[in-house]
Parts: sequence; C-alpha cells; structure tokens
Amino acid sequence: MSYAYLFKYIIIGDTGVGKSCLLLQFTDKRFQPVHDLTIGVEFGARMITIDNKPIKLQIWDTAGQESFRSITRSYYRGAAGALLVYDITRRETFNHLASWLEDARQHANANMTIMLIGNKCDLAHRRAVSTEEGEQFAKEHGLIFMEASAKTAQNVEEAFIKTAATIYKKIQDGVFDVSNESYGIKVGYGGIPGPSGGRDGSTSQGGGCCG
Amino acid sequence: MDLASRYKGVVGMVFGDNQSSNEDSYIQRLLDRISNGTLPDDRRTAIVELQSVVAESNAAQLAFGAAGFPVIVGILKDQRDDLEMVRGALETLLGALTPIDHARAQKTEVQAALMNSDLLSREAENITLLLSLLEEEDFYVRYYTLQILTALLMNSQNRLQEAILTTPRGITRLMDMLMDREVIRNEALLLLTHLTREAEEIQKIVVFEGAFEKIFSIIKEEGGSDGDVVVQDCLELLNNLLRSSSSNQILLRETMGFEPIISILKLRGITYKFTQQKTVNLLSALETINMLIMGRADTEPGKDSNKLANRTVLVQKKLLDYLLMLGVESQWAPVAVRCMTFKCIGDLIDGHPKNRDILASKVLGEDRQVEPALNSILRIILQTSSIQEFVAADYVFKTFCEKNTEGQTMLASTLIPQPHPTSRDHLEDDVHMSFGSMLLRGLCSGEADGDLETCCRAASILSHVVKDNLRCKEKALKIVLESPMPSMGTPEPLFQRIVRYLAVASSMKSKEKSSTLGKSYIQQIILKLLVTWTVDCPTAVQCFLDSRHHLTFLLELVTDPAATVCIRGLASILLGECVIYNKSIENGKDAFSVVDAVGQKMGLTSYFSKFEEMQNSFIFSPSKKPPQGYKPLTRTPTPSEAEINEVDEVDEMVKGNEDHPMLLSLFDASFIGLVKSLEGNIRERIVDVYSRPKSEVAVVPADLEQKSGENEKDYINRLKAFIEKQCSEIQNLLARNAALAEDVASSGRNEQSQGSEQRASTVMDKVQMESIRRELQETSQRLETVKAEKAKIESEASSNKNMAAKLEFDLKSLSDAYNSLEQANYHLEQEVKSLKGGESPMQFPDIEAIKEEVRKEAQKESEDELNDLLVCLGQEESKVEKLSAKLIELGVDVDKLLEDIGDESEAQAESEED
Ligand SMILES: Nc1nc2c(ncn2[C@@H]2O[C@H](COP(=O)(O)OP(=O)(O)O)[C@@H](O)[C@H]2O)c(=O)[nH]1
Ligand SMILES: [Mg+2]
Repeated sequence: MSYAYLFKYIIIGDTGVGKSCLLLQFTDKRFQPVHDLTIGVEFGARMITIDNKPIKLQIWDTAGQESFRSITRSYYRGAAGALLVYDITRRETFNHLASWLEDARQHANANMTIMLIGNKCDLAHRRAVSTEEGEQFAKEHGLIFMEASAKTAQNVEEAFIKTAATIYKKIQDGVFDVSNESYGIKVGYGGIPGPSGGRDGSTSQGGGCCG
Repeated sequence: MDLASRYKGVVGMVFGDNQSSNEDSYIQRLLDRISNGTLPDDRRTAIVELQSVVAESNAAQLAFGAAGFPVIVGILKDQRDDLEMVRGALETLLGALTPIDHARAQKTEVQAALMNSDLLSREAENITLLLSLLEEEDFYVRYYTLQILTALLMNSQNRLQEAILTTPRGITRLMDMLMDREVIRNEALLLLTHLTREAEEIQKIVVFEGAFEKIFSIIKEEGGSDGDVVVQDCLELLNNLLRSSSSNQILLRETMGFEPIISILKLRGITYKFTQQKTVNLLSALETINMLIMGRADTEPGKDSNKLANRTVLVQKKLLDYLLMLGVESQWAPVAVRCMTFKCIGDLIDGHPKNRDILASKVLGEDRQVEPALNSILRIILQTSSIQEFVAADYVFKTFCEKNTEGQTMLASTLIPQPHPTSRDHLEDDVHMSFGSMLLRGLCSGEADGDLETCCRAASILSHVVKDNLRCKEKALKIVLESPMPSMGTPEPLFQRIVRYLAVASSMKSKEKSSTLGKSYIQQIILKLLVTWTVDCPTAVQCFLDSRHHLTFLLELVTDPAATVCIRGLASILLGECVIYNKSIENGKDAFSVVDAVGQKMGLTSYFSKFEEMQNSFIFSPSKKPPQGYKPLTRTPTPSEAEINEVDEVDEMVKGNEDHPMLLSLFDASFIGLVKSLEGNIRERIVDVYSRPKSEVAVVPADLEQKSGENEKDYINRLKAFIEKQCSEIQNLLARNAALAEDVASSGRNEQSQGSEQRASTVMDKVQMESIRRELQETSQRLETVKAEKAKIESEASSNKNMAAKLEFDLKSLSDAYNSLEQANYHLEQEVKSLKGGESPMQFPDIEAIKEEVRKEAQKESEDELNDLLVCLGQEESKVEKLSAKLIELGVDVDKLLEDIGDESEAQAESEED
C-alpha cells in the first residue's frame, strides 16, 4: 500500500467515447463491451512504477452528460492529471474538445497535465478524425497526445503512465509545491517532498502519514 | 414547501398586531441606521442592537426577514474591511435563523427561523457569498459562517446541498475547515455530516477532497475510541460516506486501506471501563465495519465482488482477532457492543468459505488455557444472561454452518457423550472440554435443575450443526445418553431426550399459564431443532415413533389451546414430517397410521388450519421487516436505552401475539422457507395417503372360483372367511368415512364463524375428489396411450422388417463392391511388384521418364540455391573475421559477443513462436 507519490487523475470527454472502458482496461485489464452509463463519478485505482518509485494513481471517471458538468467540475481543481478523451469514429466528440478544454482551464489548477486520447483506434475502418488532426490539436493547446483502444488495450497503459511520468518530471523540476494537496499530488514514503523540502531537510506535513 | 406566500400572510398578521408592528418599526429604524448611517460608530451600535433584538423573539425574527436580509447581505458583500460590521451582520443572521425555544410554547405561531432559512437559501448567490467568507482571516467570521450554514442545512437541506454543489470550490472550502482550529474543525465536522446525508455526489466529492485521511487523522488525534463526541461525529461522517457508495468503499480499500478503521476497535490492554461515549464510539466503528462487510445497502448483482473483496481484506487485516477480543474475550464490553460484534463476525464469514475456515482455526486465551474461539462463543451462548447476546452469537453459528458440510462435520465429530459428571463441574472452568461435550452438557442441563433455557440454546446450535447434513443427523441420532438415575430406566437416545424436554417445557408452560410472566421461546426453538433434524431423515422419524407416547404427545401439543400459534404450527409440521419421511412398514408406525391418528384426533381440516394460522403469524408473514435496518445512533444515547428501544419497537409490532419477538431473528429466512415448502409437501402427501387406504384383503378373481379338488364346504368356508374380512374392512372404511363426514360437517358448522377453516375443508374435499377424478382420467389415458403405443410398435416392427431387408441388400452390394475393389487392389499390387522387379520396364515408360526429369531438375535447383547460400555464408564469414580482427584490436571479447548474439537470436526465434 505504500507509495512514493499519489496522483489524482480525472477522465473527461463526451459520453460514449470510452472513458469508463479506458479506466476498466487500466485497472482490471479487461474490456466490457456493454456496461452502465456512468452516473456522476466513479472511482478506480492502480499502482504503477516510474523511475523505480511506486506511484499510486487515483482515477475519477466522470459522466460526460451536460447535466453532470457542474458536479464533475468539482473534481478539476484537485486533480494532477486529466485524460481528455474523444472517439476517433465520431467527429463531434473531437469538435467538442475545445469546450472541454475551456472548462478544464477555468476550473483546474494551471499545472494540471492533460493527455489527449483518441480512443477506439481499433476501429480504423470507421475513422472520422485523422491522427494528424489529433496531433495538431494537441500541439496547439500544449497537450500530450496518443491514440488508444480500450478494447485492444493498445496504448492504454502508456497513456496513463506517460501522464504520470510528465507529472513526475514536473515535480522533479520543482513546478509544484507538493505539500499543498490541492494540486492532486501527495507525497508518501520515499517520495521527495519537493525541491524546497529536500534542500532544508524537513519533511512535509501533508504527506507520508497515512500510507 | 413554499413558505414565501405563507410568510406574506403571516407578516400581514404580524403587522396587524400592535405590539409586533411596534417591533417592526423599531427594526426598520435600526436597519435604516445601518444602511444609511454616516457615523461608523452609530452603525455599529445599531447592528449590535439589531442582533440582540432578533435573537430574542420570534416576532422580531419575522419582522427582520424580508427587509433585513438585503441590508445584511450588502454588508457581507461590500464592507468586508469593516470587521466589526461583518461580525455583527453574521451574528444577526445567525440569530434570525436559530429557532427560539420558548416560541415552541405557542404552537400556532409560525417558526420564523424556518421561514428566514427558506428566504435566505432561496438565492444560491447568498450561499456562495457565505462560502466565500470561509476564507476570511478572522476566526469569528469563519465560525459564525459555519454555524449559519449548518442552521440553513438543518432547515432547507436539499436546497443547500444543491447550492454548495454548484459553487465552484464550495466543498473544498468546507473540507479545508477540517484542518482549522479545533472549534472550527468540530463545527465543520457537524456541517459536513449533515451535508453528506443522502447526497451521493457530495459524498464522492468530499472523499475526492481527502475526507478519509482527514477523518482518520482527527480520530487518531482525539484518542480513537477513547475520544469524546468528536470521534463519534467523525465516525458518523465516515458512515455517511460509505453507506451507499461502493465507489467510496473501493477508494478507502484501495488507498488508505481498512487498518485505520479496524484499529479503532483495538482495545489497549485490559479495558475495564467502557464509558458511555466509548461505547457509542465503538458501536459507530462497528457500524462502519458492518457497512464494509455488507457492501452497498442495495446490492446490485454485479457488484458482489466489492463485498467479497471487502470481507477478504478485512480478515487479512486481522479484523477477526479484534472482534473476538471485543466480543468474546473482553468481559467488560457492554452487551450492545458484544452483540454488534457477533453480528459482524457472522456476516464476515457468511458465504465466505475462507473466512469461515480462518474463524474455525482461531484460538483464544493464553498458554495452556487456549481454546477454539467457536467453543468460547458456544460457552457464551449457553451462559449469557442476555437474550440479545444469545441471539447475536447464535447468528455466528448459523452463518458458520450454512452450506458448510465440512464445518458441520467437524463440530459434530466431537459429539461424544461423556460419562455422567460426578460433581457438577462448571462449564467455564474447563477450557479443555470439546465443542460437542459442551453442547451435550448444555442440552442435558435440563435434567438436573429443569434449566430448559440452556437446553434450548444448545438445541438452537445443534439445529445449525445438523441442518441439511444427513451424516451429521445420523451421527447425532446415534447418540445415546445414560439415564440420569442409572437405577431407573434404560439409556435414552438424544433425539428422544429432546422430545422429552419439549414435553417438559409444554407442561411447565401450561402450569405457568396464569402467570403473565413473559413470553417464552423454549418450545419453539426445540421444535425448530426437531423439524430441521427430521427433514429427509427417515431414521429420525423412526426414532420419534419408537415410542407410542411421542405421537400422542405431539397430537396433544398440536391441539393444545395453551400453546402459541407458532408452537402448534411447528408441532403440526413435525407431525407431517412423520408422514412424508416415513419409511416404516410396521403397523402403527407407518405413514398411514400417523395420518389415521391425526384424522381421529382432530380431523384433517383442523390439522391443516394450524399451518395457516402459523403462516399468518408475525414471524412468518412476509411483511416482517429485516432485522438489520439502518438506525442512526443519536448523539448522546445511553447504550442500554438504545437496546430497550429496540425491543420496544419489536414489541410494538407484535402486540397481541403470544410468541416471543426474538423468534423473528432466530427463525431466519431459510428456516421459514423450509417450513413453507414442508407444508406443501405434507398436504400433498397426506391427501395421497388418505385417499388410498391400503387394502387388507387382496382380491384376486381366481380365488373366488372353486379350486379343483376343493369340496363345497371348504369352498364356502373360504368364501365366508373372505367375506368376513371384507366386511370388517368395509366397517373400517365406513368409520373413516363417518369421521371425515363429521370433520366436514363440523367445519361446515364453523362456517359462519371461521371462513378460513371452511375454505380449508372445501379445499380438502375438492382435493380428494380431484385426486379420484384425476386417477380415473389417468387410467383411461394410460389405456389410450398403451393402445397407441401398441399400434406404433407394430408399425415400427413392420418398417423395421423392411429396413432390415433393405440393409441386407445394401450390405450385399457393399460386399460386392468391396470384393471388386480388393481385386483391383490385388492387380495394382501385382503391377507395382512387377515394376519394382523391373519385370516389365516398358509398361509405363512416359511416367518414369518424366519423374526422372523432374527429380534431376529439382536437384539442380536446390544445388544452385545451396551454392548461393554457401557463397553468402563465405562472405559473411569473412566479414565476421574482418570485424573480429578489428574488435580484437579494440580490445573486445569477441567470443563472448558472438555467443550473446547467438542467444539473442534464439530467444527471438522463441518469442516469435509464441
Ligand atoms: N471498438 C471499441 N469500442 C469501445 C472502445 N472503448 C469503448 N468502446 C465502446 O464504446 C461504448 C461507450 O463506452 P464507455 O466506456 O461507456 O464510454 P463513456 O461514456 O465515455 O464512459 C461502449 O459500448 C464500449 O463498448 C474501444 O476502444 N474500441
Ligand atoms: Mg462512463
């Protein structure tokens, strides 16, 4: 149960793009073709390793419908990472990215790492958004980008881990004050309590106590 | 509820009132001074005055309402720098929202505080404004704001939940308050507890904001279960978060784990004193544990995995040890705590074979005084003075034995009667006593001092041990007990001993009938054992019927007006089991005799009516509420009070019923299901037996003829004897018929008064007529089918004949074909031989030539390819040589390198195969 860091993620994007499936593939390594519509927010967790350090990911899967937006917004600020998902076979889910991004920028902390995921890449024959367009959008808005498939598991691990690696790097670079939990990061055993804490040798108050 | 319109009405009424209208103008003046005053000091005095007026009377609160809010909100919005004004404004607001106690005296008066809450919370903006005040530096500002929010929440819960949910970072701010100074923290805790009630989305966000960590750190800080009411508040908040959200349960399990909650149950050293607060804290923590054990309140089918995972993890984290410590070993824990603990243990092992085995392997005590935990629990069951505790601990054995053949066998294996104890040693002194010995000792404790209470508790445990387990039933049936006074009587089977206790209990009961001394459950529980034991077990029926007195007694019990509905019903079921599981052919003990005895004693109608009466009683009625309902602990209950309340509640429900309310818990769903299914079988079987009396005289038509060589006299005598037998049988049947007619007639007589019995009797008649008609129908149908079958078989036979002929023909042509094939084959073989031998080389010249040509060509081609390869290899080899030389020059271990390359390519080849 002990971890060096704990990162909180949220998964956002239109309904039906495969957010819940991506989470299930990542936490349980399985694909469930038919499952319930997410109501509000669901939770999943998994341990990963980055730089030989155990890192716990707490992931909140949100409902995409407009009626839940005000609820899901409450999760933005406390998240260190967000997976913004669209469906490569449904153009409109790509078109809505800007509005999702706007929401995130408005409610999240400025340093939140956002990973753009073009999901369902196993359905290449029904593709409606090209890889280049995805890349282009990500580049324009400073996001990391990957196409993935919750069905075949292609790039699913990678997407979650790459996001974590980016956050980890930001910590190393001293971007966050990790003693402040509102960034969605917690220091556990063996984590460096941020550059400042590391220098003067004191351990941070917020972390480590409850691993 | 729309209070605004009512408010206007009331204000009108208030204005109509002289005194109030004075108050109103006074408040108007104050508000005027506050909003239009130019001297800061005067404004401050005005708000202090306003605050005290509003806090004093309902009328002032009413008068303040609509006019006051804009002024106060204005201060909070625009004059944040004027701390004193802000504080005053908040205090006034709080006063306007707090119900005034003595206002309750006048019941007709409208609650001004309620209406003010409604007015204020109507605007979500106001809530947002209040939430923003939580970020102020000043302690009092935050403190009053929290109190105002709590007051609003109490009065308009839904609206406030919505407003907070839609305010960006609203919940975050409240959560931050948990890390504030103690007073604020406690206030925030209360607020959050109210806020999270039945609001799933808020529950999740609160958890997202790290509620679990914060709650457990506060609990730890406050000293765990030894802490004060703050710990209770923390646990209540925790329970709100976990009660109906499997998502939150998973989160707790996957991140912090269950240790923090389990460790609250850990007693430090030997605890002698359980204060009221400690008891409540422990009960709250046990409630949390229970939620985790049960998964979500409404279990969706797919989400079972969460429940099972919770149970597994809880036991991994040593929960069982702490529970056993709390419920079994700690003798000072209050009964309520011990009961809840047993419930948790029972649920923890329910349907979880691994946890069951872990419990079975647990031992308690130290050094030489260790004994299996299950034995300790049994001892508690036999000895406790609390009925609740008996029932709670009984539940552990119920879940342990359910669908656990091995566990039952293990328990039953120790059921070996000990030689009669010379001095009556006490159960508690002997930790070396086996489970079975203790149980038998308990069962027989009625012998010495008529202590049937202990006996019936042991009977309850035995019924779990033998339930659905034929081997255990047989094993227990073989137990023979010495007679208490060896000089008198012979050894007695355990089963019969228990029947005897039932008889003793019922005779005691009828003696005590006049005394209104409480309800008993002894007979019911013993009957439950006998009913459970006899299911599917002819040996038990035999054992029961071995003594003629038993049947007589049971018949008496069924008709005993002093017995309760439940006792009569269960006795009828037992009686019925003696019919359906009866394998005896012995006269007087077979199924027919039992049915006959029932018919003679009370008539079938009256017998069947016992079932109906029981099914309609509160214990069996489907509307009975599940014994484990959610019931929040109040903030300062005394545990004993809580217990009493619980019993009262049940009593309320069963008023006018003679059966003990505890039976609600002891007669679990599976037993009730069993009784219902038995009832159906019994009805069917009895009708069956009754409508087909076994004939005493076999009628064989040939017997009626005069045998050859038989003289007339002998023939006549024989016929006479035959007729006599038949005559007596007819007499017999007539008597039975008369009894039945009387039964019908008497139920007809009761028709007006007892509709249900009448219905039962006509049902009976119908059933019988129906069965005869059915038989007739069946027979004629059978005849038809036999006829049809015959025709079918005949036609089948003829078609088979045809088929056989055809097959024969086919076979012949097949064998012809085979022969010619063989011939052809023979020729071919000859040809091959001759070809090989070169006897006739010119027979197939073309083929041979072509073959040869092709062979040569192929050879040439592969030779060419080989050459190419060799050339390539040579080139490669020379390359390797050159490179090796170069590498050696550079100081590299070339041999090693080449070896590695070999390994790699092998590995690659392997993985490619995968
Ligand atoms: N072919 C394919 N289907 C997917 C994939 N991911 C999700 N789906 C399907 O898309 C539908 C919506 O998925 P869901 O996870 O509920 O979407 P959400 O509303 O974003 O949570 C489901 O029917 C899934 O079976 C994928 O990678 N490939
Ligand atoms: Mg979903």
